[in-house]
Amino acid sequence: MDDHTLSRIDTDLGGLTQAVTAMGDLAVTQVRAAVDVFQRHDLQAAAKVVRADDALDLQDAEIEKSAVRFIALRQPVADDLRRPIAAMKIAMQLERCGDLAKNIGKRVGRMDTAGGKPQVDAIVELGQLVGDRLAAVINAYRQGDAQGAYTVWLKDTEIDERHDTVLQGIVSGMINEPGTVGDGTHLLFIAKNLERIGDHATNIAELVHYQITGQDLSDKPRPKL
Amino acid sequence: MNAQLEAQPETAVLEIAPETVKLALKDLNFFYSGKQSLFDVSVSFAANAVTALIGPSGCGKSTLLRTLNRMYSLYPGQKATGQVLLDGEDVLSSRVNVAALRSRIGMVFQKPTPFPMSIYDNVAYGVKLYETLAKADMNNRVEESLRRAALWDEVKDKLHTSGLGLSGGQQQRLCVARGIAVKPEVLLLDEPASALDPISTARLEETIAELKADYTIVIVTHNMGQAARLSDHTGFMYLGKLIEFGETEQLFTNPVTTRARDYITGRFG
Repeated sequence: MDDHTLSRIDTDLGGLTQAVTAMGDLAVTQVRAAVDVFQRHDLQAAAKVVRADDALDLQDAEIEKSAVRFIALRQPVADDLRRPIAAMKIAMQLERCGDLAKNIGKRVGRMDTAGGKPQVDAIVELGQLVGDRLAAVINAYRQGDAQGAYTVWLKDTEIDERHDTVLQGIVSGMINEPGTVGDGTHLLFIAKNLERIGDHATNIAELVHYQITGQDLSDKPRPKL
Repeated sequence: MNAQLEAQPETAVLEIAPETVKLALKDLNFFYSGKQSLFDVSVSFAANAVTALIGPSGCGKSTLLRTLNRMYSLYPGQKATGQVLLDGEDVLSSRVNVAALRSRIGMVFQKPTPFPMSIYDNVAYGVKLYETLAKADMNNRVEESLRRAALWDEVKDKLHTSGLGLSGGQQQRLCVARGIAVKPEVLLLDEPASALDPISTARLEETIAELKADYTIVIVTHNMGQAARLSDHTGFMYLGKLIEFGETEQLFTNPVTTRARDYITGRFG
């Protein structure tokens, strides 16, 4: 794509993309860290995950400020307009991913143990899948890859199905060992948080696709894989 | 579906619904001293709508505008071929009375061009060429035209002072009033706000937006914000060709051609 005649537009847009990418990378790190501290039941590291969420909140606010400033001062149209809009919306999704990762960190701190082994393994697998999806969509954003975003979007049902299976496992565990209901409840929420992060990755995929092509995926039926 | 960007066409011209067409250009070519400056332009402009023509200097948008009421025929060595159909009648035909045509297709130019006469006479002058009105009727026509051009309140107490004493923005709205006083069907505007301050520009734009209820309006503008704010359809021209024509919302949010996209986003090399 050619550069703009007014080079400050390219500088601004480049800065915005860089900021969203950096925020995306941090959100991926946070999600992976939350899954890791959960798996190891590391309370100190869990507290660190909780504290690190502040950085994502700040980045979200900064991106919104930059996008509003860009729209006001450069008066963009077409794909130039879609970029700050998408940046703001993606940042909002990432901020929520951060909140969910933070919530996992808090729950780890409240759990007596890591929970039952099979349930933990299933949640960790779900968490790794979600982390990979989020990383993939951030990569698609970084590279301006509409097809990559579309692929992430297509795979959302996989996370939903995995989540359903994990829930069944947790519920069965609580039925079999009623004494684990306390930690089991935390496990249910942790699994749900991961599933929600998967939803946010899907939303980001729609935004990346929209930014690049101008076409909305959200109103299209998702073909079965 | 394929999420990849589709290959972009060189040109994309929307065909508007036939029942809405006021002006239809068919294979329009224009020559200035033997040099061709419009190339096979085929497009239709809708009635009761504003169509904006945008493009870099020299792209042919003002030339295109001047062919619509044969303004070019004032100058030697200029020739248009093809058809410009106004309600199905070819205005390029030698059988068409040019003076009558210009009463049907009015024009406002880039620089305000009030006549060196009173505000009242500026508006009444054109009417007198085509109609014989009683004084009361003429008074009504002048008032109605000035009201429609959103100038009445500012000039109603000084109608018999010179039009040249008005501000630039007022002079331009006076020209609009003069243009609509003869009750044309089409109003052509060639960069009408380029010399106006933002407030005068906003007033003129509001006037144009209101006038489209009764007229077919074609506006040439370098101001893309103005095209986006005002028009229903936008045509992007480049090197004498119509590259893209479509709904303004589409063209400014997701243009189909790379050239139009590069132009509106300021990437033109």
